[in-house]
Amino acid sequence: MSGTGPRENIFPTRMALTNMKLRLKGAQTGHSLLAKKRDALTTRFRSILRKVDEAKRKMGRVMQLASFSLAEVTYATGDISYLVQEQAKTATFRVKARQENVSGVVLPAFDVDRVAGSDFNLTGLGRGGQQVLRAKEVYAKAVETLVELASLQTAFTILDEVIRATNRRVNAIEHVVIPRLENTVKYILSELDEMDREEFFRLKKVQGKKKRDAEKAEAAKMIEAGAAGEADGEVKMETPSTTEQASDLLNDKDGDVIF
Amino acid sequence: MTTSFKDRSLLAVIGDEDSITGLLLAGIGHINEKHEKNFLIVDSKTQISAIENAFETFTGRQDIAILLINQHIAEKIRPLVDRYQNAFPALLEIPSKDHPYDPSKDSVLKRVQKLFGE
Amino acid sequence: MEALFFNVSTGFLEGIVRGYKAGLLTQAHYSNLTQCETLEDFRTQLSTTDYGNFLANEPSPVSTSTIAEKATQVLVDQFNFLRTNAVEPLSKFFDYITYAYMIDNVVLLITGTLHERDTHELLERCHPLGVFDTLPALCVATNVEELYHTALVETPLAPYFRECLSAADLDALNIEIIRNTLYKAYLEDFYNFCASLGSPTSDIMHQILSFEADRRAINITINSFGTDLSKERRAKLFPTIGRLFPEGNNNLARADDVEQARAAVDYIQEYRSFFETSTQSSAQNNSGLDGYDDHGSASHLEDRFFAQEVHLNKLAFLQQFSYAVFYSYIKLKEQEIRSLTWIAECIAQNNRERIGEYIGTF
Repeated sequence: MSGTGPRENIFPTRMALTNMKLRLKGAQTGHSLLAKKRDALTTRFRSILRKVDEAKRKMGRVMQLASFSLAEVTYATGDISYLVQEQAKTATFRVKARQENVSGVVLPAFDVDRVAGSDFNLTGLGRGGQQVLRAKEVYAKAVETLVELASLQTAFTILDEVIRATNRRVNAIEHVVIPRLENTVKYILSELDEMDREEFFRLKKVQGKKKRDAEKAEAAKMIEAGAAGEADGEVKMETPSTTEQASDLLNDKDGDVIF
Repeated sequence: MTTSFKDRSLLAVIGDEDSITGLLLAGIGHINEKHEKNFLIVDSKTQISAIENAFETFTGRQDIAILLINQHIAEKIRPLVDRYQNAFPALLEIPSKDHPYDPSKDSVLKRVQKLFGE
Repeated sequence: MEALFFNVSTGFLEGIVRGYKAGLLTQAHYSNLTQCETLEDFRTQLSTTDYGNFLANEPSPVSTSTIAEKATQVLVDQFNFLRTNAVEPLSKFFDYITYAYMIDNVVLLITGTLHERDTHELLERCHPLGVFDTLPALCVATNVEELYHTALVETPLAPYFRECLSAADLDALNIEIIRNTLYKAYLEDFYNFCASLGSPTSDIMHQILSFEADRRAINITINSFGTDLSKERRAKLFPTIGRLFPEGNNNLARADDVEQARAAVDYIQEYRSFFETSTQSSAQNNSGLDGYDDHGSASHLEDRFFAQEVHLNKLAFLQQFSYAVFYSYIKLKEQEIRSLTWIAECIAQNNRERIGEYIGTF
């Protein structure tokens, strides 16, 4: 009787109908907002996706250049890896996280935060220091690219997740919440209609009964008070009929329930 | 997650000696009070379990923003890497000297390609 | 006099080393090697040279570091053969050659000790030419103080340590300063030792060592720009030998940039040309390396130093009855290994434009 799909478990009243309609409206607005957000995010996502792809390929080249500069160091100074490892103490190359807002999603981006350190300044002092210096620069550049890529990738991961969540929500609203609310509204409407019809029918019935009773009473009165004056009887009859109707209504309803 | 990433400022590396030397030259090396390094040198003798441990440690640390790992080393612990989905620390596969970059193996790029393909 | 008895004790070894020298790669070999597409080709090409099949037992993807390692092993074997057959004073001469590598090794161990590492694993990282019997003894030391005393007792480098450094210095000074201080002492000592050997050894060796000393002075100067190395300390690292000593060194000590360093060495013809040509070639070269002109010119300078070193070492072979050939052979072989590694590296990393930047020996 009340629609085919699932609906809210609710008592069908006009009040509930108003509420449901409001909720439906809310859901629709929410849906369109979320859909817009999703579109915005997806646009962003697409562009990031392209950038990630590009940056990853760029990284390949940059790192190759960097390791080549290390080869130059090895050519000039020999193996310095152990010295470098041991001299590492405090990071001079750090990143700073920054927030970026894309349609309500906080995307962190990393910024290079580099303090001029003197860590390896003297490495290769006697030989190949320039190569070491250069390798340092090349690698710092490479790491900058890596940091950039990391930001993109983090944005990618977060956006991916957010888009998924948004998508889920959009779909949920579209395919679950809205139909459900619509069903509820339909249900309430149909219930209310049904009640209206019942009411109408009952009222008709009541009216019919009342008519019958009135006729009966009329007839009885006619018979009973044949001698009495007609105009008086008319007035007398009207007052009890209203009281009778009230009690009748109650009786009627009871009868209806039993019926 | 959003509150903690402000503290993350370090880069960590798991890589072969050459990559690490270069990256350390760039100045990313850091040894904290507890004498924990933020880099692990992997050579042919390094056990897989050691790499896995380092991976877990680095991804679990609160001060690391980006974790770099040589691709050929990531290959060794691929299941672990593929399972890693967190945004922080960002995981980045980098090429090494002897192993040029192969985009088809990168777990992130694999997802990218999948998304593009769809 | 010298020449009269030279062959009695050293003739055999000189013959050997000249034979070795003939085995050094020639220009033809190099051009073949630079044509290689892969490291496999490279290996095949090398097997037709004097290196033979030194890489034969290596598993197939040969890494450049393996090539360098194996090639060094060849050199070490040759060196050890020469050394075991040498008698005084040639054996002493060989000892001196190894001291340079010893300095590197000892410095490596000092670094390890300073950072409280297990120094035993460092032993395999030591340069094989610089390994001496008591080197592992240094690993016993757990702190710098102990290490210093062990180094004094156990290493042939003791005099250098004693004269230049105190135990406290090891802790306080940058490791590179220690290394260069030691090296300076070593160069001077070697120089004096060569003087005691008399002509013609001393003549040739003095030329080579002077160049080495000058090269260090110039390098230290250039490399210390922009670092916290003070000028006084810098001046102390300059060897007190060489053609730049004392005037050029004094000027170098005051130099603030490359330009001034160039002015300081300007009065020596050869060195002037290093700087001149290096700026020109860097101008041509900087298209490939945007933003690195400055470093570029300096690394060209380094290349020129290498080339000059090779040149001087080659000259040593023109003289007979001198020990310098042994030193020169080792240096040439070293350069050859560097060149091989460079070429291999270029092949491995597919950077063919720069493959020609090796310095050939013969």
